Amino acid sequence: MVDEESKQSENGGNCALLSPGFRSVAAMAGWDEEALLMASLVVQDTPDRDAAKQKRRSDPLFKTPPTHSRRKRRDQRKSPVLKPVAVLNLDEEEEILEEKKEQEKKGPKIDTKKEEKSNESSSSIPCIDRLREELSCAICLEICFEPSTTSCGHSFCKKCLKSAADRCGKRCPKCRQLISNGRSCTINTVLWNTIQLLFPQEIEARKAVAGGGSNSKASSDLQSPPARRRNQYRSVIEALNSPEGEQLSLERRRRTSNHNLRQQSFRPASVVLLNSREAGENSVTRRRQRRREAAAVVPPPSQDEDAALALRLQRQEFMGAFRGSEEEPGLHRRSSVTRAAVNLRAMASRAIDIRNLRGQRN
Amino acid sequence: MNAGGSLSGGRSWPSRTSLTSSGRRIQKEMAELNENPPPDCSAGPKGDNLYHWVATLFGPQGTPYEGGIYFLDITFPANYPFKPPKVVFKTRIYHCNVDSTGNVSLDILDENSWSPALTISKVLLALRSIFTNPNPYKPLVPGIAQLYLVDRSKHDSVAAEWTQRFAK
Repeated sequence: MVDEESKQSENGGNCALLSPGFRSVAAMAGWDEEALLMASLVVQDTPDRDAAKQKRRSDPLFKTPPTHSRRKRRDQRKSPVLKPVAVLNLDEEEEILEEKKEQEKKGPKIDTKKEEKSNESSSSIPCIDRLREELSCAICLEICFEPSTTSCGHSFCKKCLKSAADRCGKRCPKCRQLISNGRSCTINTVLWNTIQLLFPQEIEARKAVAGGGSNSKASSDLQSPPARRRNQYRSVIEALNSPEGEQLSLERRRRTSNHNLRQQSFRPASVVLLNSREAGENSVTRRRQRRREAAAVVPPPSQDEDAALALRLQRQEFMGAFRGSEEEPGLHRRSSVTRAAVNLRAMASRAIDIRNLRGQRN
Repeated sequence: MNAGGSLSGGRSWPSRTSLTSSGRRIQKEMAELNENPPPDCSAGPKGDNLYHWVATLFGPQGTPYEGGIYFLDITFPANYPFKPPKVVFKTRIYHCNVDSTGNVSLDILDENSWSPALTISKVLLALRSIFTNPNPYKPLVPGIAQLYLVDRSKHDSVAAEWTQRFAK
């Protein structure tokens, strides 16, 4: 059954992908075989085509026609058993690739939305003025910075509330209820995040004012989750920009996120795969090294002293990368992505061949 | 007059330095007052010193102070809003809570009952409310408070006379 399918895909191969009409038009336009092949690769990027192609890639295993020789038959029976081990691995890899692709599609969109929101925050929400009033600190009359909520339910900037408690007694500035000291030191995170989402510019400005102060560290800590997310986007976009990007970003992901056990278990296989690459692909490693250097230049946000500056830098960098990815012609990017996938598959099938050979020898 | 001058002289430095938190807050209050001023009041900095304001109050209708215009000096401490502003009547007024030098006894302007959440517009509203409802139980001028409690009509006529004489 598998044989039949593989045969069909083998025969159908490129012909099925490109209709005869297209072929004739291409011939009239003077396309050569290479151009046709490129076109077929572009078409292949759709998921169901991918599946067909994958079967075709593994067809060296099934190429041998059915024979009556017992030994060969046994081999044929065995090979499908052997196959899943390696191909499963590949599938998983592919799943991640797909995931990545989806993230690429989603990631930038989400962030552009956010950017839009921050740009027109004052106009998009109709009751923004009332919100501003509600979310203002009664002490400094500005948008609450790191709001702290009293036991009586009133919120002020953490700093303002502290100074009020120090200089005016431990009573709520709004309702004069007694407030405990410990409570006034905690930040109301939900409120703080909401404020940051609603008034990003004001908060940025205040952070810049407070920059270098004692609370800059706290703000950088608070900022870290979104910053991390932005980093993710950046890596995804970098991957998009480079021909071998997907594999590289995968590699980096494995390198950086050691906490992920599943990915760690992947590592040996990928190393083998990478080692089995031709020497001509040295450029890839060179490029990777260059990238690593670039990554070293970009300071990690958690270690940054000036959180506001880092944030701005990151945003700029991200926007730059995003623009770059937009400007790049989609066709080229796509074909490069498929080429990378094809390379990976070829290497995997080679690895399977080697394993099969070893199995036969044994 | 003298006291106000010396105060402004002593506090002129905060406005020259880059804006402190108190300066920022006072600026915010100024903007807010310009945007929607409370009824029958106005307030703003006297000169270029953000910490020294002048305010005007109109005597509310239905009171012996009706038709009078009262000028007040407001001086912000350097650690405003954690300490209350100082309010002094520049216009003479016959009121049991305002003494002859213009000092006001208003509970929210007291150090112990001041709250940093209070603003000048709220202080002006409170001042307006003592025009309509003097507090004879915490008087600054006991004689006027006494008269207010014992002979309200006589108190009101004297107050109206003072309004005609000093506040027009």
